[in-house]
Amino acid sequence: MSGVTLKRLNKTFGELPAVDGVSIDIREGELIALLGPSGCGKTTTLRMVAGFVEPSSGSVHFGERDVTRVPVHHRNVGMVFQGYALFPHLSVAKNIEFGLKVRRWDRTRVQKRVDEMLEWVQLGRFSERRPRDLSGGQQQRVAVARAMAIHPDVLLLDEPFSALDAKLRLQMRSEIRELQREAGITSVFVTHDQEEAMAIADRIGVMNHGKLEQLGSAQDLYLRPASRFVAGFIGKCNVLEGRIAGTRQFETKSGQQLQYSNEHAAGSGALCFRPEHGELVRAARADANNISVTLKAVTYLGADTEYELVADNGERLLVMAASSSVAGAAFKAGERLVLSWRSQDSFVVD
Amino acid sequence: MSGEKARRLKGGALVIPALLLVILFLLAPIALIFRFSLDIYDPGKLMLGVFSPDNYVKAFSDPFYRGVLLDTARIAAVSTAVCLVLGYPVAYFISRTRSERLRGTLIVFTVLPLLMGNAVRSAAWMVVMGSKGLINAFLLVTGLAAEPVKILYTPTAVVVGLVSVLLPFAIITLQSVMDSIPQSLEEAGRSLGYSPLRTLFAVVVPLSAPGIIAAAAICFCLAMNAYATPVLIGGPSVHMMGPLVYQQIAKVTNWPFGSTLACVMMLVTLVLTIVSTTYLHRRYF
Amino acid sequence: MSAARTIYLLLVVAILAFLVAPLVVIVWASFFSDKILSFPPGGYTLDWYARAWQQPDFVAGFLMSIKIALCAMAGSLLLGVPASLAIERFRFPGRESVRQLLLAPMYVPAIVAGAAVYLYYIQFEISTEVQLAATFPGLLLAHTLVALPWTMRLICASLATTTGIAEEAAQSLGANALQTFFYVTLPIIRPGLIAAALFSFIASFSELEESLFLVGPGKTTLPIAIVNYLEWNLDSTIAAVATVQILIIGTALLVSDRYVNLGKAF
Repeated sequence: MSGVTLKRLNKTFGELPAVDGVSIDIREGELIALLGPSGCGKTTTLRMVAGFVEPSSGSVHFGERDVTRVPVHHRNVGMVFQGYALFPHLSVAKNIEFGLKVRRWDRTRVQKRVDEMLEWVQLGRFSERRPRDLSGGQQQRVAVARAMAIHPDVLLLDEPFSALDAKLRLQMRSEIRELQREAGITSVFVTHDQEEAMAIADRIGVMNHGKLEQLGSAQDLYLRPASRFVAGFIGKCNVLEGRIAGTRQFETKSGQQLQYSNEHAAGSGALCFRPEHGELVRAARADANNISVTLKAVTYLGADTEYELVADNGERLLVMAASSSVAGAAFKAGERLVLSWRSQDSFVVD
Repeated sequence: MSGEKARRLKGGALVIPALLLVILFLLAPIALIFRFSLDIYDPGKLMLGVFSPDNYVKAFSDPFYRGVLLDTARIAAVSTAVCLVLGYPVAYFISRTRSERLRGTLIVFTVLPLLMGNAVRSAAWMVVMGSKGLINAFLLVTGLAAEPVKILYTPTAVVVGLVSVLLPFAIITLQSVMDSIPQSLEEAGRSLGYSPLRTLFAVVVPLSAPGIIAAAAICFCLAMNAYATPVLIGGPSVHMMGPLVYQQIAKVTNWPFGSTLACVMMLVTLVLTIVSTTYLHRRYF
Repeated sequence: MSAARTIYLLLVVAILAFLVAPLVVIVWASFFSDKILSFPPGGYTLDWYARAWQQPDFVAGFLMSIKIALCAMAGSLLLGVPASLAIERFRFPGRESVRQLLLAPMYVPAIVAGAAVYLYYIQFEISTEVQLAATFPGLLLAHTLVALPWTMRLICASLATTTGIAEEAAQSLGANALQTFFYVTLPIIRPGLIAAALFSFIASFSELEESLFLVGPGKTTLPIAIVNYLEWNLDSTIAAVATVQILIIGTALLVSDRYVNLGKAF
């Protein structure tokens, strides 16, 4: 077992770069999510790690081993496919032992390992069943057992939960996470569901148009997004266009002067802050950013209440507050209010 | 009768003309030759009007006719085997081709020779395999042979000719079954350590077994029922059932015996067709 | 590209070439100028085509084949289109059995069908004094049967792509059965119809074994004329005739390729 390193991976199909200069250093035992909209290159990247796609340039390393030119069947990867790809003509046990037969293990060793795997995913009773007789969750566990049986160097999962219904998805999500932690195996999984990524990954790589926009923990991505895309893709975000007007000073298009907290080069950009960091007040607060807004709509969502606002220059903004804390406020649509938030909670992106 | 049911029956009536044609001019004739096969030939009256299994006995016990049956079966079996071996890689290639255009072109390419008809195709093979044909010309020019090799009018030539008829059927049958095998299964095999060739044998072949059986059944039937190829390419020394049926019915006018042979061919075809259709429906996907 | 993959590609190309090669060779041979067909050719000429046209057997065979193929095409459509409609749009009892029955001609070996129909015609003549063997109508009936399954498969496949909901909509708007057919169903099956027409033509034009029993003096088809000639002669004349058949069928196929995705028709 070892970590996985991707060095400046590129893949071009015809004219279009599907993967553009992706570099990631995955630590041993870490679970990384590749997250992004369809077509962003995450699946192509995964398939390059697996060996199904040869990179146009760049390299893939499993620990010290450069596996870039190594064909799939020599790479020792464990892959869980979207749709599981279980062999329908083989029983569960035979599916799991499939990878072991080609490694020429003797009969006893194979049997022992298969039993181990069945035990691990708790499908001992189903060893002789065919895949079509199993539920979606059970099939997925077989797929994981089959991939792990061969002692792979890395575990790869391609949208593993997309075929499951919502409830099962949550259940399998934590189960797979548990299994992965127990085995301590370096893993990469691909998803377009940001909630899923944030729930189980150690770190998340957000991709867009082939490029890796940002790699970091869920918190990093949420509180300190590196780009407008990441800010908008992970959770909701308020965006004010404008330009840098000095150290940590930002001037909006309508001339308002605001403060922000991250490092950013001079030029134009957007100042962002999360809806739950904004507060609606009747008078501007000292030591905070303030802008005048008109309240458009109030939506009670149970635990939270959402306020839709419009700034003077027409920009649409959102404030999310815990319902219990705004119980007495009684703001009405059409009111002119002040939206206030701390500079620590604002960041500027391109 | 409800309006819906009446409508369905009235619409169903549209089938009648076609059905009538098939019943009157295909099924009835087949029933007729079945009847004739049980009759006995008489040079004077043509048929005696009795019911007797003699013809069937003769077909299987008379050394000459049994020989013809066995030769037919042997040639058909060899042709089928060759077709499966040659057809499988082509079918796999077509099935896994990603470009729709290339796929379509390959399929047209595969089917085009088929539709030319047996007469033209046999003529073409005669030009290629004859003593002054293309192959011999090549052998003589390159010095690989001192004099023309006898290729035409041998059982081998018949197999070659038959394979060129059967191969498209094998390819299309196999390809359509392979289409239903998801490529992710092959990728799974490769990720588990199987080289591409091993994956083919460990994953694709078992899952395409219904297609292999169906292709084999189709090829065997077509080979067994062939006429133009054995006659033109096999010549007088190769005896197969198709030409024999024609000879018995049109030349010798031994209708009962000709009918018997035809019925045997019909029966084998029927059984193999049922086998192949059943297997095609028992797929995994 | 690895060595293994190159070998694989070469193998596939070689096998496909094997399928097409004989046809290419015979077309090529139709232009050889030598009296006796041999390789390599001494020169090239178009004379054989003219010679072929002067042979009454070939001309008669050609004309007969065209006539029969066109009539069989018409017959197969006239019978097959209503039948397909019935099977795909009306759920009458015994529907699937009827479908299999109408596809049956495809499964009966041509030699067997030819022999059976011939003997049947003779019995028919004995009973009714109407001769069918060695006549145009007799031959036509058999060819229509050969073409019918093609129409059935193609039109049924075409109809199966829609659920009949367009026809229901037309009827709810007041169209009667005939109007529904012409204004709604026909446009839907138009590509299938053209393909069915062309494939019926091809099936009939290239038919050999069944026709063997059913032709007579002065009434022979082109494939049979070719086989008869080949039994005692192999020269560029026959190569020219064969090329003509290839051309006709090839054209029909390429035209139908524009209307129906041939990849899906099989």
